[in-house]
Order: sequence, then C-alpha cells, then structure tokens
Amino acid sequence: MTTSAQTVVAPARVKSATAVATVRRKQGFQHGGWFIAPFLALFALFVIWPLLRGVWLSFTDANISGEDTSFVGLDNYREALGDSAMWDALGHSAYFTLLVVPCITVMAFLLAMLAHHIERGKWLWRLCFFVPFLLPSTVAANMWQWLFTQGIGLFNETLGIDTPWLTDKSYAMLAIVIQTLWWTVGFSFLLYLAALQGIPGHLYEAAKLDGANAWHRIVHITLPMLRNITGLVIALQILASLQLFDQAVVMMDFSPGPELSTRSFVQYTLEQGFTSYRVGYASAMSIIFFVIIAVVALARMWLLRNREEGGR
Amino acid sequence: MTTAATTVPTKSRKPWTPSQIVLTLIGVAVSAVFVAPIAASLFTSLKSEAEAAEIPPHWLPKVWTGQAWKALFETGNITNWFVNSLVVSVCVTSIVLLVSALAGYGFARTEFRGKAVLMGLVMSGLMISPAVLGVPLFTTVQQMGMVDTYWGMILPQCAPAAMVYILYKFFQGIPRELEEAAFIDGAGRWRVFFTIVVPLARPSLAAVGIFTFIASWNNFLWPYMVTNNPDLMTMPNGIATVMNSYGIQWAQLMAGGLMAGLPLIIVFVFFQRQIVAGVAHTGLAGQ
Amino acid sequence: MGRPSLSRRQLLAGIGGLGVAGSFAFAAGGTGADALASSASTRVRYWNLFSGGDGSNMIAMLDAFRKANPAIDVKDSTLQWGNPFYTKLAMAAAGNRAPELGVMHMGRVTGFSPGRLLDPWDVELLAKYGVRQEDFNPALWSRGVIDGKLYALPLDIHVQLCFYRKDVLKKADLLGDDGRMIPVTSTDEWFDVLKKAKQAQKKGLQTIGLWTNDQNFQWWFFVAFYTQLGGEWFDDARTEVLFDADKATQVLEFLRQHVTDGYVIPGAPTGEQFINGAPFTWEGNWSVPVFSGAKLDYGATPLPPVFGKQATHAESHAFVLPHQAGRGGATNEAAHQLAAYVVQHALQWAAGGHIPAYTPTLSTPEYQKLTPQNEYVSAMDHQATEPKVWFAGSTGVLAQDLGPVVVSSTMGSAKPAAVAQTMKKRLAKLLVSKNPMDGRTAAQGGAVV
Repeated sequence: MTTSAQTVVAPARVKSATAVATVRRKQGFQHGGWFIAPFLALFALFVIWPLLRGVWLSFTDANISGEDTSFVGLDNYREALGDSAMWDALGHSAYFTLLVVPCITVMAFLLAMLAHHIERGKWLWRLCFFVPFLLPSTVAANMWQWLFTQGIGLFNETLGIDTPWLTDKSYAMLAIVIQTLWWTVGFSFLLYLAALQGIPGHLYEAAKLDGANAWHRIVHITLPMLRNITGLVIALQILASLQLFDQAVVMMDFSPGPELSTRSFVQYTLEQGFTSYRVGYASAMSIIFFVIIAVVALARMWLLRNREEGGR
Repeated sequence: MTTAATTVPTKSRKPWTPSQIVLTLIGVAVSAVFVAPIAASLFTSLKSEAEAAEIPPHWLPKVWTGQAWKALFETGNITNWFVNSLVVSVCVTSIVLLVSALAGYGFARTEFRGKAVLMGLVMSGLMISPAVLGVPLFTTVQQMGMVDTYWGMILPQCAPAAMVYILYKFFQGIPRELEEAAFIDGAGRWRVFFTIVVPLARPSLAAVGIFTFIASWNNFLWPYMVTNNPDLMTMPNGIATVMNSYGIQWAQLMAGGLMAGLPLIIVFVFFQRQIVAGVAHTGLAGQ
Repeated sequence: MGRPSLSRRQLLAGIGGLGVAGSFAFAAGGTGADALASSASTRVRYWNLFSGGDGSNMIAMLDAFRKANPAIDVKDSTLQWGNPFYTKLAMAAAGNRAPELGVMHMGRVTGFSPGRLLDPWDVELLAKYGVRQEDFNPALWSRGVIDGKLYALPLDIHVQLCFYRKDVLKKADLLGDDGRMIPVTSTDEWFDVLKKAKQAQKKGLQTIGLWTNDQNFQWWFFVAFYTQLGGEWFDDARTEVLFDADKATQVLEFLRQHVTDGYVIPGAPTGEQFINGAPFTWEGNWSVPVFSGAKLDYGATPLPPVFGKQATHAESHAFVLPHQAGRGGATNEAAHQLAAYVVQHALQWAAGGHIPAYTPTLSTPEYQKLTPQNEYVSAMDHQATEPKVWFAGSTGVLAQDLGPVVVSSTMGSAKPAAVAQTMKKRLAKLLVSKNPMDGRTAAQGGAVV
C-alpha cells in the first residue's frame, strides 16, 4: 500500500528511478543463499550426513558403542543378500503393501463419493472418516490390539466369531491391515474429496443434458478426472506402507509376531541395529531399503513422464 | 448469525430424495464403524480394570468409574509426557515454518549456479525418513551427544524436504511485480520477505504448520529411537514403551491413549475447514 | 467487529509467542519436568522390566527404602519387558545417558559388553551396605563375575513351573496323600495324567496352558526338556556343535502332541483359562501372585521329569550398573545402597514366586512357610540353562533365532524333525558369528569367562 502511494506522489523521480529500479530489481533477487542456508544446514546434518554415514558404516562391522570399528568391505551386503530372515521381512512389508494399497485406494474413493454426494452434514462425515488419522500410531494400535485380543476383545464379540487375530500367523498380518485401513484411510479420503470438489460442475450438467445416467457420469467423468489424484494416492500409500513399523510392533507387543509373521523390514533392521547391536549390518540393510524406496519413487516419476508424453 | 441466516434457505432447497435417504443411511452406518473403536476405548477407560478384562466383553460399563483416569494422573508420567509432546511439537513446528519458508522462498526467487542440483538433492530427501535410515541417523545423533535430549528429538524432524517443496511451489505462484515494486522503493530483501511475502503466504504457512504439528505430535518412530529416559518421552512413545508397573491395565491404557489423541481431535473439531484444506493442500502439492 | 477481534488476535498471538518461547526454554533446559520438580539431594534413576505382581512387589520394596532413606530420591521406571528393555538400556549406555541402576537377566550380561555398556560393582561399597559374596550360591555369584570383576549382583532365581489346580486333580484322583500332584516320570504317564484331568475338568476350557505360540515360553520349555534328555549344545572349546537332532525331535514331538491330542486351545489366554478352571498351566513362577490373588486352590512343581531326569528352565534377575562416563560420587553410592537393600529384603520379592538369591532369606521361617514356594524350591538344584555364550540369555539372539522355529513345530506349521535340523544349522551359524561388541566368536572368548 505504502509503496504504490509513494510512486504516485513522486512522479518527478520516475525517469531516474527506472535506472535505479533495474539495478535494485536485479540485486533484489540475488543473494538468496542466506534464505536457504538454515534449511541446508539442518538438511545436511540430519539427512545427507546420515546417508553418507550409513554408506560408510555399511562397509564396517560397527557396533552400537561406536568403538572397535573395522572395514569389512562388502561382507555385510553379501550376508544380507543371503539372509533369509531379511527376505522374509521384506516379503512381509511387501505383502502388507499389496493388501493395503488397493484396499485403501478403493475405500478412500468410495468414502469420498459418499461424503461428496450426501447433501447434509458434510462436516460430520469428514470428521468421522478422518478422525482416526489424527490419533498417534501407537494409540490407534493399542486400541485395536485390545479389540482383537481373544476373549476380552470386542471385535470377535461383535461379529460373533472366535478368531485368534494376534496369535496365529495366518491372521496376524490381516489384523494389522484392518487396523491400518481404519487408521489411515482418512488421509487419502480427504485428498479424493478435495479432488472431487475440484471437478467443474458444468461437465456433469453437460453430460446430463446428453442423457448420461449416474453410472456413466462416474465412469466417463469422475474416474478420468481423478486419474492424477489416484496416482498420487497410490504412490504415497506404497511409500508409506513399505515403511510399516509402528502399528505392527505395538499390536504385537514389540515382538516379531506369531512365528515371525509380522516382522517388517524396518523392524528387522532396527532389531539388527539396536537389539543385536550390529550397526554395520543394519546400515547395509538401511541402504538396501533406501535403494528400494528410491526405485519405487523413480518408477513413479518415470510413469508420470511417460503418461505426459503419451498424452501429447 | 449471518452464516446461519444464509444457510437456512439453501437447506430448504435440498429435498429428501430417496437416493439422499439411502446415501445418508449408508453414511451413518459407515461413520458408526469408524467411530466405534474410539467410543469403545472411551467406554473402556470408564470401566474398572477387572471389568475391562472381563470375558465376554461388553460395550458399556456396568459400573461407571473414573478410577483409570484418576490413576493415570496419580502415576504422574502422563503429565510429563504431555508437556514433552507439547514442547517438542511446538519447537518442531516453529522451526519448520521458519526454515522451510525461508528455503522455499530462496529456491523460488533466487538464481545461482547449481540451484537445480541443490533442488534435486533436496527432492531426494523426500525418500529419506527415520524408517529408512534410522540406524545411521541414530549414530549421527549419538555422536553429537544428543541421545535422550529434547534437541535430539526436535532437530532431526526439522528438515522436511516436502514442506520446502510445497512452499517453493507456492512462492513461485506469487507475481513477481509485488516484490519488484518494493525493491524499487528501496526495501531490503528481508523486509520484502517478512512484510509482503509472508502475509501473502499465510494460508500455505498455516497448512504447513498444521500438518507439521500433527505429524510431530503423533511421531513415534524417531522419538522411540532417540529417547530411553522415560522422563523425556513424548505421549505416543511413553504410552507404547513404558508399561504401568502393575501390568497391562486396559482401562488405563485406553485413558492414556485418549489423552494423547484428544487434543488433536478437539482442535480438529474447531478448525476443521483449515485443517482439511491444509491436509489436502500439502498432500495435493505432491501431484 | 474489527477492533475487538484485532485485540483478541494480538492477545492470542502474545500467548502463542509465550508458548513458543516457553517451549524453547524448556527444550534448552533439557531435563524434563519431573527432574526439575525433584528436590532431594541425591537422585537415583532405576530402570527395571517388572510388571504385574513383580511390579507391585518391587514398588513396595522401593517405598520401604524411600521411607528409610528420605535423602535419596529413587526414580523408578518400568519399561516393556524383553528386547525393548535391553534395546533402551544399551542405547542409553551407548549414548552416555544411562540411569544409575538397572536390572538384567543374568544370561544377558556376558553379551551386554561388560566394561563398555556396564560398569563393575564396587564390592567394598556393597559390603559396607551388608552384601557379601558368602551369602550367595557360589555358582550363581560367579555368573556375574567377568574378568575378575563383579558386573551383576544376583537378586533371584526364577524357574518354569507346572501349575495345577488341586480341586480338579482331586476329582481326577491325581493327588497324592500329601495333597500334591502325583509324580510323573515318563511321557506316557504324563499324557495319562492329562487324559484323566480332561475327563474331570469343566467343558469348554483347555486342559493345559502351554503358550504354544509364544516364542519365549516355547524356547524355555524346549531348553528344559532337552536338558532332561541330557542334550548338549557345544563342546567346551566352543568350536563344535554337539546339538543332538534326535533328542531335539523327541522334545519337539512331545510339545506338539499336546496340541494334536487336543489338550491345548492355541492362542487361548493361559492365565485366564487356569483361573476359570483349566487343570494345568506351565508358566514362570511370577504367576504365583496372580493365582494366589485369585484365591485358587493350586500347587506348583518344577516341569515334570517326563524324560527321566529332573530339570526345569531357570534364569536369574540381577542388578547392574549401566555405563556412565562420570560414574561415582553420591549417586553411585546410593545406587549401591539401593541394590544392597533390595537384595537383602527379598522376602517381599519371594512373594512374587521367585527364589531369593540372598541365601539367608531362604532359611527364615517366613520363607519356609510360603506356599507353593516351598514345593518348588528344589528347582534351584536342577537348573536347565542356555549354553554360556555371548548370544544366549533371556530374549537374546539365541532365543530369538530358535524360539520361533520351536513355535512353528508346536503349532504344526513345520515337522519336528525338520525343525530340529533347522535348529542345528542355526546353532552352527551362531557359533561362528562374531559378537558385534568385540568382534570375537564364542570360541575366541567373546566376553565369556
């Protein structure tokens, strides 16, 4: 406000000012380093440095005390690739991801459609579907651990069944999947809801005039318009699900689950590092995991680019 | 008042068509499923410990009692953890807001050699989390002597590449003319940032702040790794790892869980619109 | 509209600013609210893993200590039992933020890097507070001594027991004249007992609680029965695996038979079942206060010698001094004083079913009156323990590696004979693996005396 007022009252200075202005304008956008510096400092210390350190440690036999470290070359990686427990753990994380991602995507979409199309009490639906996401992971897990406990839990009681959810290897991971769906679907639901609200209404009206019924409108307008958001939801969910840890350990009382059936990759890595004190070996597994995550992320970027090119 | 007046006519415009009735009924049923676990834990927290472990279980307490809540506060840990959670989340949120706003602006509005490389580096940070690099991150923090300290919990949560990216996107969308005009009038870089750019970015900053606060309040993995001293634990960590000395007491566990979860739920009820916009905003920015 | 909301906004901003400033100040202080509030001159932080009945007994003993020593502020913290506890303790010691006093299982001490994560006890200081070596079982005491220094001060011995309900066994005619369960000397006799008990018990319950899907219990039971068969683990030089797959198969088949014969409902909560009328349950002695509290008419013997020889799994809780760079002074002395006090006042601890390590307690008339403790005190003479190697000990690497495979056999997802071979292979792998703390294998010492 003040700036525009000044330029108006001082028209006489305008001509000489343009020269000054160009200089100032140029200077204005330089020296950005100081803006970025604080972030870079933190980023270097707590992201880049640990990554480099992890790479270094993965070539050593370092233990938790940080003493007596010696270089062992590729031994850790060789051991990891032949470690069936590691592959099992990776399998558990992948299995969990495979179950959770499609379920959550479909559920989030359906919930969003529901909340979007009910005309009354929108805030209430939003609240109900989203509220579990606001709970800390451990709290949400404790709740379900109790619901699933045989005998005293309300889950079996309500459904009139007697399933050993937490103590049988064929059910344990399913129990974690159910808990996760309840707990995290709200986030993807909100993304879908926002996307639904962003679809221009005239598209539907035009389709209506053309005589398209509700089903056709969903298939030919809603779903194509939601393609990008679906890609995003799936990508975010894959990355988050592969990093399964919190709910699994809490629901299993920090154990690897019945017959190790719920031990995730993250859990196995932390066990190696902090329970068996093998920091070097755990670092190698961290690096392997980082590569897996990076491949998933890059695959998504590649898909996005391909689609854009295909679209042109 | 005014809002109520305007909503009345729109409400009357919505007829109870059969499809609306069906949808609403489905909505109520699904909502009930979503709320049931929370309601169940609330009811359980109002049972006696013996009743909470009864076979077979039942929903409503036969005898309503506040003993679990009373015991929770008498044991004392929970208030410590609450304070710790608050301290950590407030510090993380303010540092993240400051640091990522500056960096987002810096990336959006400065040209320097190697910017693209640096930006790519920051983007690669999106793939790194304590779940991925926990062990090396722990040894780093251990070397700095920050295990079991507040700073050890706070600082590693303060370099979120995602938030920088979101604000970077936003700042790119602000017309340059606004700043140019200010530069021409001789305003310095920092003054322009704080008096012109920041006020414009308030909605985005709110979104980032809200999201960061939720994430930090609920964060379990990193505080779990870096704190061992029960005095310093945050709510999610303390509830999960420090058991009550008298064994698993479900009523107390549920009460503690609600203590940890309720603040955010209450805040959500009051600021629903902003939070929904914020979560959608931060999430959608990844597109 | 504008003015009041503006001033309210300023007020909110002010409060917010104060909150942020306060948070930063608090974080900079760095000690946590509880430590700030503590006024006593000497503060001893004491970490343990005791919940349930043990937890309340420990707290009662601590309260007695606090009353007698008001100048010492004891801050006790109970962490989740098992590996989470050891993880926290190791990380705290490695990060130089360890508490003054901690509790560990004896079997874990050798692998916990004494000298690096643990500090040695000052034996003279312990003697000053009344604890001397001659008051302990010599074998037990020496388990805590490494390189000539005492690293673990034993508190108790705890064993796996066979709990039985006298009311049910009486109906099944399985009680002897002394009111105790009739002795069993073979697997056939044992299953005969189960059969009779099943006929006499309440319907809908299991006959015996076996923790069939718990990797710790299954491992402990395996160790007990494998020891009964005279099975060995390694040779003395720790270079060769002597694990006998045939004997192991016998044990695994024995455990599995409880499930196949229908005496167990897998996954059913064992304690609740026993309280509701299941005739047997195999549990640690720490369940004594639970069952006594439920006013059951019950007894407890060591695990039945079904393979001929008496042996039941035993472990021991011990006090340790987690490593602190600046250990010494008043807090260190207070830690010694507290540990010495608890060890000597272990009668309360014995109420939790544990056999006190401080032998003078055992000869007190109060202890000899305790039931069912007096029925199984002999168990300390027939201890089945894990091999003494760095990877052994409660919830240690060995138990973590082998426990789940024992479960897979008992639950029927793998054949006993195949599981025995897997166990042998894993033992061989463990034997050549290096202790990450010092880079030595079990044969090279690996911190074992």
